[in-house]
Amino acid sequence: MFDLSFLLEDGYLKLFRDGVLTTLRLFVVSGLLAIVVGVALTTLRALPVKLFKAFVIVVVEYHRNVPVLVQILVWYFGVPQLLPAGLRDWINAGNSEFFFATVALALNAGAFISEDMRSGLRAIPHTQQEAAWSIGLTYLQSFRYIILPQGIRVALPALLNQALLLFKNSSLAMAIGVHELLYRTRQIDNLTFRTFDVFLVATMLYLIGTLALMALSEHFARRRTAPSGV
Amino acid sequence: MWQRHLAAALFATLGMTGFAHADQLADIKARGTLVCGTQNASEPYAFPDAATRKIVGFDVDVCNALAKGLGVKLEHRALSTDARIPELKTRRVDVLAAAVAWMPARAAQVDFSDQYFVAPIRVLVRADSPVQTLDQLAGKKIAASEGSSSAAVSVTRLPDSNLLTFHDISSAFLALQQGKVEGLVAGQLILARFANEAAVKGGQQYRLLAKPVFEERWGVVMNKGEPALREAVNKILVDYDRTNGLQDSFDKWLGSKSVYKFTRDYKVEPIKVQ
Repeated sequence: MFDLSFLLEDGYLKLFRDGVLTTLRLFVVSGLLAIVVGVALTTLRALPVKLFKAFVIVVVEYHRNVPVLVQILVWYFGVPQLLPAGLRDWINAGNSEFFFATVALALNAGAFISEDMRSGLRAIPHTQQEAAWSIGLTYLQSFRYIILPQGIRVALPALLNQALLLFKNSSLAMAIGVHELLYRTRQIDNLTFRTFDVFLVATMLYLIGTLALMALSEHFARRRTAPSGV
Repeated sequence: MWQRHLAAALFATLGMTGFAHADQLADIKARGTLVCGTQNASEPYAFPDAATRKIVGFDVDVCNALAKGLGVKLEHRALSTDARIPELKTRRVDVLAAAVAWMPARAAQVDFSDQYFVAPIRVLVRADSPVQTLDQLAGKKIAASEGSSSAAVSVTRLPDSNLLTFHDISSAFLALQQGKVEGLVAGQLILARFANEAAVKGGQQYRLLAKPVFEERWGVVMNKGEPALREAVNKILVDYDRTNGLQDSFDKWLGSKSVYKFTRDYKVEPIKVQ
């Protein structure tokens, strides 16, 4: 039914390999950036400053409510037009496709991560905070040693879910010509018209990625089960 | 748990390709309708008419000619570029007149009729670009529309360029306008229109590189192993050309009666291997 022998012809295997590598690069770079963005947003929101809180709410709601594809297109086609011409030409001459896809994906995932972390932190009862203060810890110390470690554990399953979403969302970068796995898949499809064979390979490759992430998350979940009563 | 996910995904993928097989020409005649697919947004080949909202164009005329020639009713399907080949392979459409250019690897998967359209694929650059020849595109970014034959051809004919494909030709042109890419690879016709529109509007101007990248030859596309259908389609296309039906349609959409003013310098004949 399926014939995958075409993979050995005309360097199609190499195209797939390049696609997988670009997808992984996109996932890792935007994932690390997303964690930074998520922590920054969570911290800003936790601070007792109304302006910060409002800023974070606007950022989070934009990224939750606008399709990721649109966010990527806005960064690629829209944002550079606002820059001075010299800077714009410099950006366009480089690998601006990968750069803007990474920025868009990182901000999107970062917004979701900040929400997950916030719910994780909110799950820790306020009495823990009071107990920490009563033994003389400062606000920062109680956050660092008591609240954060427990909050992260509660948020862990949701965070790993975000990792899966980010992995799959990376395929949207093909809309602006990033040569990731789905881009390469469609390119090979267009060259060979072996639609079903080509997409079978892509499906398997994406599954390997997501199943590996799921296995990793189960490993973590077993090692870091949230203490009972939380 | 994950084993079950894997099994489910496998079955979902395998299930897509089961279909019965019979002589398709006999099926079409028995059914009394020809299901003919075209693209859905590719002016002037198959695109929505602003007034009637119906899909019209050069390729739709080919579908009409085929149905008329077979003596059956036309059931027209407007498809996205991505959906063209899967729709054909799963036999939800009988034939495609959907801007499909002949290429050797493609011909190994589907059958092509005689050519009914031949046109050069060329490169559009900004008028002030230093690029004069195809060689000078080496190491530069070029844009094309995803799934198009221009994109496929660029991979082999312009291997030293960095090809970026976009969802449709307008976003690819936008990338050229914004200076994100050095050139836009597409059919001569659409490129001429972009250049003309810019000339009328003013602002950034464009020019075509002199040498074509490739000469694309479109055929009606059918499933493999349907010799009767293929023979019937070829006969209808030759008649369509001989009785000036093809010429009238060409004049209307691409030639003297259109904004493009192109002249037809090919005829319906078997596609020559390039």
